[in-house]
Amino acid sequence: MTMTAPLAEDTKLGPKAGGLYRHQNFATGLIVGILSAVIGWVISHALLQSSNWGSDMVVTVTLVSWVVGFNIGIGSFNAIFRWSLGHDEDHEDQLYGAGVGQGWKRYFKFCTDHKVVGTQYLVLVMVLFGVGGTLAMMIRTQLLTPNSQFMSPETYNSIVSIHGMIMIIATIIMVSGPFANFIMPIMIGAKDMAFPRLNALSFWLVVSAVPPILGSFLLGGVPAGWTTYAPLAVQAPPAMDAFAITICTFVLSVTVAGINTLVTVLTMRTKGMTPGRLPIFVWGSIIAGGLGLYAMPAFLMAQSAMITDRVVGTSFYVAMQGGTGWLYENTFWIMGHPEVYVILIPPVGALIEIASTFSRKPVFAYKVMVSGVIGIATLAIMVWAHHMFTTGWAPTLADPFMLTTELISIPTGIVFLCMVGTIWRGSIWTRLPMYFLYLFLFNFIVGGITGIYLSDVPVDQYFHGNMFVTAHFHYTLLGGGMIGAAGAVSYWYPKMTGRMLNERIGKTAFWIIAAGIQITYLGQFWEGFQGMPRRVANYAQIFQHANDMSSVGAYILMTGWIVFLYAIISSWRHGVKAPANPWHAKSLEWQTSSPPPLENFLVDPVVTSDPYGYGEDDLAPQRQPQPVSAEAGSTTGGAH
Amino acid sequence: MSSEEKRDEIAAVVEPVFRGGPLWKRPAGKVLIIWVPMTIIGLLLAFFAPGHLFPENMSAEQEDVKTTFILFTALAAPVAAVVWGIALYSIVGWRKKSGKSDTPPEDGPPIRGGTIATTIWLGTSVILVVVLLVWGMAELSSELAPQQNAMQVNVTGQQWQWTFSYPGTGVTSTQLIVPEGRQIHFHVTSEDVTHGFWPVQLGVQIDANPNVTTLISATPNKLGTFDVRCSQICGLNHAYMETTGTTVTQAQFNAWLVSHGASATSVHSYAMSAK
Repeated sequence: MTMTAPLAEDTKLGPKAGGLYRHQNFATGLIVGILSAVIGWVISHALLQSSNWGSDMVVTVTLVSWVVGFNIGIGSFNAIFRWSLGHDEDHEDQLYGAGVGQGWKRYFKFCTDHKVVGTQYLVLVMVLFGVGGTLAMMIRTQLLTPNSQFMSPETYNSIVSIHGMIMIIATIIMVSGPFANFIMPIMIGAKDMAFPRLNALSFWLVVSAVPPILGSFLLGGVPAGWTTYAPLAVQAPPAMDAFAITICTFVLSVTVAGINTLVTVLTMRTKGMTPGRLPIFVWGSIIAGGLGLYAMPAFLMAQSAMITDRVVGTSFYVAMQGGTGWLYENTFWIMGHPEVYVILIPPVGALIEIASTFSRKPVFAYKVMVSGVIGIATLAIMVWAHHMFTTGWAPTLADPFMLTTELISIPTGIVFLCMVGTIWRGSIWTRLPMYFLYLFLFNFIVGGITGIYLSDVPVDQYFHGNMFVTAHFHYTLLGGGMIGAAGAVSYWYPKMTGRMLNERIGKTAFWIIAAGIQITYLGQFWEGFQGMPRRVANYAQIFQHANDMSSVGAYILMTGWIVFLYAIISSWRHGVKAPANPWHAKSLEWQTSSPPPLENFLVDPVVTSDPYGYGEDDLAPQRQPQPVSAEAGSTTGGAH
Repeated sequence: MSSEEKRDEIAAVVEPVFRGGPLWKRPAGKVLIIWVPMTIIGLLLAFFAPGHLFPENMSAEQEDVKTTFILFTALAAPVAAVVWGIALYSIVGWRKKSGKSDTPPEDGPPIRGGTIATTIWLGTSVILVVVLLVWGMAELSSELAPQQNAMQVNVTGQQWQWTFSYPGTGVTSTQLIVPEGRQIHFHVTSEDVTHGFWPVQLGVQIDANPNVTTLISATPNKLGTFDVRCSQICGLNHAYMETTGTTVTQAQFNAWLVSHGASATSVHSYAMSAK
């Protein structure tokens, strides 16, 4: 785009721009999806009712038809259909696809604007956290008393499984969905993601993956935990087919999104945005994206084989026919351990941006930090069997996996070095995002150290399968990851919504959340020390005090999140209008308006330094940030 | 980067840490003042808390768990105190603007890194990891070493109960009875799905898988009862898949076998069996 081009979103589109897209939205997706599911059910039911394939095949066909039908209905494959008919999309069609002239309705459409996709992801993540959190409250209510009758063991087991998987899905996309889509392209000075349609596809795939996993409650429930270990899961009710289809669909989404992130950063950086000037958050996004590309296919394989074992009678995991549950456990954890770093690296990147901005100092040891994160990602693919120390699968590999697991604490230590090095002697400005950084520093130390106990095989032989593990990974994924995501929300909220987040309410929420986390999970550590196994619907009398502590903490924690949600929603509607750069930060996303116009910058920015040149105006003139577009975008109104 | 800049940069980090006025007036000294009590509290917790948190030790393995827990906590305490000390002091000592201010404070010093700090940090973590690893490997190999007087117990998991059998004697039981002072080799398998065999106070566990036998050993060293639980979700009644175990003397153990129908000769050869 040249300096004189009109702003794309002001373009008046012709009456036919967009073609079929004009008639498609979330509602048509639902209609076509449900129709397609009904057709799939009728056909499979008619063909298979007299065969011995049974209900598993019917459920599988129906739900796959739903996923495909929903995506056809909302327009995920329109462009492919067009091309196969020999047509191409013209410029007006593409502008329509990016949401031009559709107001709020574009949030319910297959919209290719990365900022719309980012906002859609943010809302979806909050919905998923709401569902997963509600299930967590049911779990904690069941565990208030020994021999509780609040739920049957059957219901309880299903709720434990679905709470786990919903939360894993939500945490994988909680930062890489909203922020790597909305913020990251702007940070590198791009107009959009490299593959805008794939970007929209990745979002709507997740949406279509949600109904099957929730539908599992109606299909008999998944009684096997979120890990769904094989012999048990192969025998589970048809709910397990729904669970597996959710996973397969979600894996496609993460894969598509990961490729998109990588290609965007490789090819779409603006002039002067050399690798050494990339913000840490961008590094985090591409490393997590690349790690996801390694990890998630293993999950696809694990769950595809699960489906074939259940539906067509293969025996990958059936011990009596030569299969083994250890195959499932291995493929699952080959996904499962890298996956926790796919979750954690993006929030860590966001927190380092926050540390630099609110300490008014450059990021400490930038290159060491980037190497550290690459080190984490590399080691992450070599530690999976520490989840299998007590399975008996490979006792001789205990020492090597203990080594790799403990080694990973070295690059993780670099993350802490970078964070405390950045705040060291800084000019600390305690706005809300900085609160979350401090809470991360507290929680992630607890989560990290308890992880080191678990890396020691003899100690793991006591704590494995025990509430200590549950508390450990909640400290890392919730106390570290989700707190980082909350920091990212409060940091980039003005940019995404054009309004300031109400910090008075936000800080109230912060203190409730901070207290809730400690009470809930210290309670669970206590349960673990005493010897309470995970995923039990009932427990012996001796565990009651610890469980009560944890349940009370959980109610406090949920209250905190509800207050935080209230801050987000109320500020979105009534918040003070945000300036372009409320934090006086130096990275590119703050050099355009809040929210940014379509294609982000009125003038292509040129970058001459990294975005961390705080206090360097006199010291090293060549380091001064000189984005040509500085403030240029701020003269235009927001898109909202 | 010119050598002059490099020197500036090093000076910016090193000076307030290692030079410039008395220690307690420099940031490093102030952080140290927080670090020392935090570390002391951590060490006190490390040495005194685990005794109250873990259940009673009933085996050599469970003693190892507790010892290792204490050691790792003691090693972690000073590290956690560094991070928390700096974080805490930064709020107290370096906060320039309150959270209510709309404009940022003056920029801080442009410290872009510090070779010395990074080296110390990395060096410390490498040393700690080596200590953890060597400790863990030594402990593991001592636990795995088979002992002269070891004896075998077969464990079978099925939805949702445990069955224990004593090879050669024909005795099976849903309660686990083991003699004191001998290394017990548990041969664990399952009849249906994966279970987790976990005699809690013996401090070991291993999965029970169908069609496979997995091994774990423990040396009970205290008379009394302990809990046996399932640590791997195994379906509807996973929560109720538990039983009690009892550690008894060798003579009581032999008598128990006989009272459950074992012949005196089979008990003798079983009790004398050494692996």
